[in-house]
Amino acid sequence: MSDQTLEIAGLSAWYGEAKVLTDVDLRVEPGEVVTLVGRNGAGKTTLLRSVMGLHRQVEGTVTWGGDDLGKASADKRARAGIGWVPDDRGIYATLTVAENLLLPPVTSKADAWSLDQVYEQFPVLHERRDFPGTKLSGGEQQMLAIARVLRMGSTLLLLDEPSEGLAPVIVQRIGEIIRQIKSQGVSVLLVEQNVKFASTVADRHYLLAQGRVVESLDNDSFQSRTTELLEYLGM
Amino acid sequence: MQRTRNSMSSFARRPLALAATAVTGSLVLAACGAGGPSSGGGKISDDKVVLGLLNDQSGVYKDLSGPNSKVAIEMAVADYKAKYGDKAVAKNIEIVQADHQNKPDIANTKAQEMYDRQKADIILDVPTSSAALAVATQAKAKKKLFIDIGAGTTALTGKSCNKYTFHWAYDTYMLAQGTGATAVQNGGKNWSIVYPDYAFGQDMTKSFTNAVTKAGGTVQQSIATPFPNDNFSTFITKAESSKPNVIGIMAAGGDLINFVKQFNQAGLQGKTQLAVGLMFITDIHSLGVDQFQGTQFTDAWYWNFDDQNRAWADKFKAKTQTRPSFAHAGNYSAALQYLEAVQRAGTDNSDAVVKELEGKKLNDVFLRNGEVRAADHRVLHDAYLVKVKSKDQVKEEWDYEEVVSTIPAAEAFNPTVSTDCTM
Amino acid sequence: MTAFIQYTLQGLALGGFYALAALGLAVIFGVLGVVNFSHGACYMLGAVGAALLLDATGLGFWAALPIITVAMFLFGVLLERLFVQWLLRLDPLYNFLLTFGITLFLVDFVKRRYGVSSLPYELPAGLQGRVNVGSVSLSSYQIFVAVFSVALCLAVWLLLTKTRVGMIVRASTEDAERSRALGINVGRWVTPVFGFGIALAGLAGVLRAPTGSVNADMGSFFIIILFAVVVIGGLGSILGAVVAGFLVGLVEAYGQGYAGSFSQVLIFVLMAVVILVRPSGLFGREEAAS
Repeated sequence: MSDQTLEIAGLSAWYGEAKVLTDVDLRVEPGEVVTLVGRNGAGKTTLLRSVMGLHRQVEGTVTWGGDDLGKASADKRARAGIGWVPDDRGIYATLTVAENLLLPPVTSKADAWSLDQVYEQFPVLHERRDFPGTKLSGGEQQMLAIARVLRMGSTLLLLDEPSEGLAPVIVQRIGEIIRQIKSQGVSVLLVEQNVKFASTVADRHYLLAQGRVVESLDNDSFQSRTTELLEYLGM
Repeated sequence: MQRTRNSMSSFARRPLALAATAVTGSLVLAACGAGGPSSGGGKISDDKVVLGLLNDQSGVYKDLSGPNSKVAIEMAVADYKAKYGDKAVAKNIEIVQADHQNKPDIANTKAQEMYDRQKADIILDVPTSSAALAVATQAKAKKKLFIDIGAGTTALTGKSCNKYTFHWAYDTYMLAQGTGATAVQNGGKNWSIVYPDYAFGQDMTKSFTNAVTKAGGTVQQSIATPFPNDNFSTFITKAESSKPNVIGIMAAGGDLINFVKQFNQAGLQGKTQLAVGLMFITDIHSLGVDQFQGTQFTDAWYWNFDDQNRAWADKFKAKTQTRPSFAHAGNYSAALQYLEAVQRAGTDNSDAVVKELEGKKLNDVFLRNGEVRAADHRVLHDAYLVKVKSKDQVKEEWDYEEVVSTIPAAEAFNPTVSTDCTM
Repeated sequence: MTAFIQYTLQGLALGGFYALAALGLAVIFGVLGVVNFSHGACYMLGAVGAALLLDATGLGFWAALPIITVAMFLFGVLLERLFVQWLLRLDPLYNFLLTFGITLFLVDFVKRRYGVSSLPYELPAGLQGRVNVGSVSLSSYQIFVAVFSVALCLAVWLLLTKTRVGMIVRASTEDAERSRALGINVGRWVTPVFGFGIALAGLAGVLRAPTGSVNADMGSFFIIILFAVVVIGGLGSILGAVVAGFLVGLVEAYGQGYAGSFSQVLIFVLMAVVILVRPSGLFGREEAAS
């Protein structure tokens, strides 16, 4: 499996004049699940978009598997094994469920899930394979978005608030999936506001406030400070 | 005195006969002393006669008049100079031109500019009725001449008529009289008319309805269409539905081409007679004779009608690589007759020139049995009922028309002067 | 009733043509996010090209269909490589202005070079005359254009739905950024798609040449109708462009039958109503409007 590390050093990002990330250092080891926790507007999504190469107004370095991604385009990064699961799930309405799965190119044969594997893991996607992607429920769309990048063979998943707006039972199922892919050596950078959920899946946590990393915690100290963190997040 | 110095210096630059310069120069000085360019016993204001050509230099009417009308006017100037030589009253003739884009507001500004800044003594051409009416108003205000060639509206000799405006080549009455009345006489009693719903189309429909009715026919339906319009198939179906003998189309330019192509595609060519309200030879060229074959319409002038026309058309072709439309010949004629009037008057003073034009009987390559009607400044002349030749009759490029009959000047135009016209 | 059926047939025939002409506009907007104002000028260029081809080589309509289409594809590729690509990252307004400028240039170029009068172009042999069924009738050429357009729309639809290329184009049409983030090199598809859209415009021009006036200005008004079609259908929606094409054709035919000179106004009334009820158009996605 993969032995690629994501390393972010001194990353700053702007929207026009407004600086939204300042000097962020962050690291995701192979097979590690790391969360970014912070209030709305703390810069979590921008951080993910910068890693993906979708946000271009940045300074600092993003290294993936030892290669500086520099100005590499989003599609190059995706083909290098970075899987993008946006907060709106990014399911194509004009494509069927099956087409949504088949659209991205397979980037690593060794890591890629086969279609059969996907359908076995997510029977509902098989049942509804000929439906337009957006006819699925929110939870199913989330599964589809994750399954889609796994089929590509991505070895790092950028998951943007996967639990948002979903029923507890589905959130639980997503937790299972994360643990499962982690066991296969896939690493995950997870943006999450659901502190409880985060603590059930993650190894480490970064606390983001006003575009800066204010704290880096392992899961144990994270769990022991849950109440404090909840308050901090205003939840 | 500023004016004198300017004209003196501009004169000095021109390598014309020195004597002429000295004579005219002193005349100008005298005119200035008398208090202004157009007030004195006349002679030539600003030492030169300026002919202004105001027409469509870039849009739909560019090819049928446009920049080539300047060539026609240059030919008139050359002929005038050749005829009078040293005795020419207008020694110095300048042509200025502008594009009015067929818009009345632009025509209005450009006309003002021509009369005031460029010192135009006359404006020529001005197609598009609304633009022509705007220029007529300017001519009246500035007391400078305006001879319209390109526009069809009878309002120029109706409620918008004035002392300085002349309507030279054609009008909607002439088109309807020739085409409409003749078609009825030949058995085309029942008409459907299809017309673009704006001033020109409405005016044409009115004229045609009058002509057809007077000749004993009926217009069963007149169908308004948008302008511009690409697709006429359903309009054609409607026009056909009353089973007319004749379908009259009052569209011009590109819309006319659209209509005729679709008329023929509907299988109506040869079955129902097509009458075209306003057609220029450039339209036949565009569509190909096949598509128009047999169509009758009224033409104000045709280049291959007789030897005189042909000789002039040959000269025109040598300069432009194309054959003249009636508008080109009309511009030539108007410019020439204006210069002749200046010659007779001995001055370019507007009132004097008008006097030399009013009521005069004129003949040239364009005007046959021509007469400038004093009451409304309608220029009467022979018009022609023509038929589009079939392909095998065409012997050379642009040889598209066969003159069926000549409509005498007295019948071609409305014999009664509009009561709306007060000079 | 006969009249109504007659108008309906004419509307459908016209609609097929509108659908075909609007298709390229929709595809280009979808994949590039460019509102291609020069679509009308390219349509004009297709028709003028066919007329010039006839004049210069004697090659008629049937030869012009493939030749002009391929030539316009190459012209589209050239436009994209030379101009459009540099502005893709900027505000869409820049490319709108660019294509507007290209339109002015092309129209003026044709005017200066070939005049403003229409160029001669005749019906291809075998498509003259009309077909009567009972008391309704259509000209053979109208039927040909309608059938050809529908067949071509169908072919494009199959290409889009049944092939991997089509899947990529559809995905990129829906959201180009997302497609990039999923590893698709959208840029690689941009040039051929632009060329394809321009080729469709040119093809529509060739189809128009035998049945309408062929001159520099012929696209100036047509582009406005096409904009109405794509707005009604939903910007960027390919199915929308086709359905709206037929809808607009029908509205125009009924308008000509029952509303005379208001027939064109009705198209824009339809557009206004659609925008009021569904701001993103009949088949547009909600996000497209926001």
